[in-house]
Amino acid sequence: MAEIRDITDYAAKDAWSRRKFLQATGLVAASLAAGPIIEACGGGTSGGTSNTGGPYKVPKARAGAKVQLLQWNSFVKAADDEFKRQAAEFSQANSCTVTIQTVSGDDLIAKTPAAVEAGSGPDIIQMEYGWPHLYEQACIDVTADVNYLKGKLGAIHQVNDAFCKVGDAYRAIPYTQVPNAWSYRTDMWQQAGLSKFPTTWDELASNGKQLSDKKLGQIAVSLGHAYGDAITMWYPVLWDFGGREATADGKTVTINSKETLAAVNWAINTWNSNSIAQNTLSWLDPDNNQAYHSGLISATLNGASIYLKEKNINKKYIDVTDNAAQPGGPKGLSTLNLIFNHAVMKWSQEQETARAFLLYAMEHDNYSKWMSVAGGYDAGPYAAFTNDPVWGTDPKLKPFHDVVPNGKWPAWPAVPSKATAQSQVQFIIVDMFAKAVTSKDAKGSIADAEQKLKRIYEKPS
Amino acid sequence: MSTATLPKIAAEPKRRPLHVRLLNREAPLGYTLLVPTMLMLLVFLAFPFLWGIWLSVTDAQIGVDETKFIGGANFLYERGDTVFIQSFWNTINYTLVTTVFKLVLGLSMALLLNQVFPFQRFVRAALLLPWIIPSVLSTLAWRWMFDPTFSVLNWVLVHPLHSVGVNWLGTTNTALASLMVVNIWRGVPFYGISFLAGLQVIPVDLYEAARVDGANRWQQFREITLPLLRPVLMVVLMLSTILTFADFQLPYVLTKGAPYNSTNVLSTWAFNIGVPGGDIGIGAAISLVLFPILAIAIAGVLISLRSKD
Amino acid sequence: MATLAQRRRAPKSERPFTERAAGRWLRIYVPILLFILITLFPFYWMAITSIKSDQELLDHDQNPMFVIVPTLYHYHYLFFETHFLQWLTNTTIVAIVSTAISLFCSLLSGYALARLRFRGANSIGWGIFVTYLVPPTLLFLPLALLIRTFHLFNNLFALILTYPTFLIPFCTWLLIGYFKSIPRELEESALVDGADRIQAMVRIVMPLALPGILSAGMFAFTLSWNEFLYALIFMGDTQSKTIPVGVVQELIRGDDFFWGQLMAAALLGSIPVALLYSFFVEYFVAGMTAGAVKG
Repeated sequence: MAEIRDITDYAAKDAWSRRKFLQATGLVAASLAAGPIIEACGGGTSGGTSNTGGPYKVPKARAGAKVQLLQWNSFVKAADDEFKRQAAEFSQANSCTVTIQTVSGDDLIAKTPAAVEAGSGPDIIQMEYGWPHLYEQACIDVTADVNYLKGKLGAIHQVNDAFCKVGDAYRAIPYTQVPNAWSYRTDMWQQAGLSKFPTTWDELASNGKQLSDKKLGQIAVSLGHAYGDAITMWYPVLWDFGGREATADGKTVTINSKETLAAVNWAINTWNSNSIAQNTLSWLDPDNNQAYHSGLISATLNGASIYLKEKNINKKYIDVTDNAAQPGGPKGLSTLNLIFNHAVMKWSQEQETARAFLLYAMEHDNYSKWMSVAGGYDAGPYAAFTNDPVWGTDPKLKPFHDVVPNGKWPAWPAVPSKATAQSQVQFIIVDMFAKAVTSKDAKGSIADAEQKLKRIYEKPS
Repeated sequence: MSTATLPKIAAEPKRRPLHVRLLNREAPLGYTLLVPTMLMLLVFLAFPFLWGIWLSVTDAQIGVDETKFIGGANFLYERGDTVFIQSFWNTINYTLVTTVFKLVLGLSMALLLNQVFPFQRFVRAALLLPWIIPSVLSTLAWRWMFDPTFSVLNWVLVHPLHSVGVNWLGTTNTALASLMVVNIWRGVPFYGISFLAGLQVIPVDLYEAARVDGANRWQQFREITLPLLRPVLMVVLMLSTILTFADFQLPYVLTKGAPYNSTNVLSTWAFNIGVPGGDIGIGAAISLVLFPILAIAIAGVLISLRSKD
Repeated sequence: MATLAQRRRAPKSERPFTERAAGRWLRIYVPILLFILITLFPFYWMAITSIKSDQELLDHDQNPMFVIVPTLYHYHYLFFETHFLQWLTNTTIVAIVSTAISLFCSLLSGYALARLRFRGANSIGWGIFVTYLVPPTLLFLPLALLIRTFHLFNNLFALILTYPTFLIPFCTWLLIGYFKSIPRELEESALVDGADRIQAMVRIVMPLALPGILSAGMFAFTLSWNEFLYALIFMGDTQSKTIPVGVVQELIRGDDFFWGQLMAAALLGSIPVALLYSFFVEYFVAGMTAGAVKG
C-alpha cells in the first residue's frame, strides 16, 4: 500500500531548502485566512494578468470567451478524453468555449516555437520540460495564481517548480508529471533464475546478461532521440555515477570528469556485452512499447502506459508484468520524469478565462478524477495529490508513485534556463552515450559532448 | 503542331477601349501580364527571403523581442559545429548519390516503357505511383518497412534468404542508405516519365539512318538518344537537384537525424536549431548556406549540359 | 506514326522465333517486372497492413506477407474516429485553388515571357527560376510572421496563398516552353485580321496550349497535395489540417504508431491524385514533351 507522506517529507529531501519549506507553510497559513473558494461563474469583471498589484482576485471566466489549449497526445487516451470532458463541463457552466487540441509530443516541439515566434496561436500551451525558460517573454506572469494553488493544494514538487519559475515569477502553472519506472516480465526473470528486479545499475547489467545468455527477452532502452524514454534513462545513469552536466549556476560545463567516464564506461560495457538490446539507436518513444507488447523484450523504462495498456487493452502479458523503481548507482539514485505545465500566452485575448479554466482543472476533485481515469499514468505536482487514491487502486502501480520524489530535471543541478533547454532538445547527453557505445571511445564521446555543451552554455549572448 | 482554323474575327471599325489600345503594345501587355505572378512572388517569397537573410545576421531567438545585428557571427559559430559539418556533407552525398541512381534507373525505365508490350498503359500509370502518393505517407510506409522490430525487409532477409537482419535506421551508414533508397524509389518515376516524353519526340528516321550507316544499338544510344535528350535532362536534373538539396520531409520523418544526429541534412539541422532549439538566427544562417551551394550545383549542371549551338 | 519498337522488329524477321522471344523476355519483360515489383511492393505492404488486425501486426512469429483474418477496423477508425474526411476535403480544396491560382499566374507570365518582347523579360525569367533556389526552411518562419499579420493562421488561405510560391516557377517554365513551340504566324495573322493582342492571346494561342496547361496543372496539383512543412506550421486546429499533417500528428500518439490506420490513410490519401493521373497520364506526358523538351 502507498505510504502516507506529508509535506514534511518533501522538506526532508535535500533538494528542498529550509527557506522553501518555510515559504510553503507560510503560504498555507496565509491562504487559510483567505476567502472561500469562488467557483468561476459567468459575468463579473474581466481582469488583467494575474500580476496586478493588490489582493488576489480569483479569475472568472467571461461569457462568450473562446479559449484554445494546445497539449500533447497523452499516451493514455482516456486521460485526454477526461480532460476534454472537463473542458466541456467548464464551458457549459460558464457560457464560454474551451477547446483542447492534442498533437503528438514531437509536433508540440515544432508548433510551440512557431506560435511563439508568430505571436499568435493557442491561448494556453502545454510546456514540456523547461520550456517556460525558453519562452519566458511569451508567457504571462501567473505567480499570483500559482500562489493561490499552493495555498489550496500544498507545496509544489521541486521539478515542476524549477521549470515553472523563471527568475522571480512563475511563467507557467504546474500541471503534471509522468513518472517513469521499469516494466518487466516476471516470467522471464523467473526463468533466468533471478529473484527480483535489480536495484543498482551494475545489477541491471548482470541481470541483463543472464537474460540475454538464456535467450530470453533482453532489457531494452532507447538510445535514440526519444524525447521521453531516452531522456528519462540516460540522465539518471549519468547522475547516479556522479556525472554532472554543469554547475548549479549554469555557468561552467563540468561534463568532462571521471564520474562521467564511469557512467559512460558502464554503458559501453553493458551494451557491448549484449546485456542490453543493441538495436535501439533509432528508437523513438513508441518503439519500446511496441517491442514490449509483442513479447520481444523483458524490461524497459517507460511511463505507466505499457502496464496500463496490458492491463486494460491487450491483456496478453498482464499477469507476468510488474513494475519496479529506477535502480541507483554508486553516487545516488535519481529519476527523471516527463513534466508538463501550462502557460497562458501573452497574445491571448481571454487571459482571465484561460486562467480560470486552468484553476478549474486543478480543483482537487477535478484533478483527482483525471488522475484516476489516467490510472496511474500521471502524478500530481502538488503535495495534496501525493497520496491520491489512484495509487491505492493497484499495488503494481507503487513504483510509479515512489519515483516521483526523487525526480530531477534535465541538466540538473544546473538551474533550468535557455541553455539547459537547448542541451536537452539537442539530446547532447543521450548522443554522448549513443556515440560511446558504438565507437567504444568513452573519452572521445565525452570530449565531443563537452564541446557541444560549451557552445551552448558559454555562448556570448 | 496542327494548324487550327483561325476563328473569324471581324474587323471592328469602331474605336477600341483605351485599355485595349494600351495593352496592344508588347511592352505594356508584357508587364501587365506579369503582375499577378510578381505580386505573389514578391509578397510571399521575395519578402520573406530578405527577412530570412536579415534573421541570419542577427541573434534572433524564439520568443525574445530584442534582436540585434551581429554580422557574420552565426556563420562563424556554425563553422565549429560538428553536426553542421556532417549535415553539410550528408546533404551533398545524399543529393549526388540519389541523382546518379535516379538518372540511370529513370533512363532505363524510360527506355523500357518506350517499347510495346501488353498492359502498357497500366504499367505506366502504376510506375508513377511512388511519385503521386504524398511523400510523408510513403515515408511512413517505408519507416514501417524499416522498423527496428518488425521490419518486413528483415523478415525477408532472415526467413526466405537465411541471412541476417539489418538495423536499418540504427547505424549511420545504413540509415543514410535507407534515406537514399526511399528518395530514389520516390524520384525515379519523375525521371522516367520525363525521359519517356523526351524519347517519344525523337524522330524514328534518325535511328533508321544510323542503322543503315552501320551503327549498333549502343552507338545509336550514345549519338542520337543522349544528345537529343539533353533538354529534358537539363530540366529534370535541375529540378531534382534543387528539390533534393532542400529536402526536409524525408529525413525529418524517417530518421529525425538519428542515430545521434548523424543523419541530418542541412534543412533538418536548420529546423532543429531554429525551432525546438530556439535560435532562429543560427537556423536561418544554416538554411542560407544551401543557397550558394545550390547555385553552384545548378550552374554546374547548366554548363555541362548546355546545348552547343 | 510507327513507334520505334514497331519499326525495329521488322528487319529481324530472319532470326528464329524462340531466340527473339527469349530476347524480348530478357530485354524487356524481366526488367519491367523487376521495376514493378520494387515500385509496387510498398503499396502491397501498405494495403496488407491496412487490413491486418493489431494482433497480427505485432505478432513477430507470423509471416508478415499475408493476412489471416482481414479486418476493416482501421478504415472504420479512420473515417469515424478521426477527422480524416475533413482533412481530405481540406487537402483537395487547397490543391485545387492553389493550382488554379498558379495556373492563372503562370499562363499570363508564361505567355508574356515567351511571346512578347520587352525590356527585362530575360532577367525576370531568370529571376522567377532563381526563386526555386530559396529553401523552404529559410522561408517558413518569416512566412509564419507574415501569416500572422494577415490573420490567416488556421485558415486554409494561408496555404492557398503560399503554395503558389513553389508552383508558379515550374509551371511558368513549362508553359514558356509550350508557348515557344506555337508558331508566331498565328498571332500575326490574327492581328492583321484586326484582333487586338488580348484577343489573340486568349482565343487563339492559349487554347493550343491546353496539353501544357493540363500538364502543369497536374504537376502543381501533385506538389500541392504533397506539401508538409507549411501545413505543419500554419494549421493548428484538427479541422483545418491537411492529410499529411493530420495523419502524422494524430495517428502517432507518442507511444503508439497506429500502423494499420496510418497505412490505410496513406492509401486513401493517394487515391484522388492517382485517379487524376490515370485519366490524364497521356496528357501529362504530352505536355512534358513539348514544354520540357522545347523549353
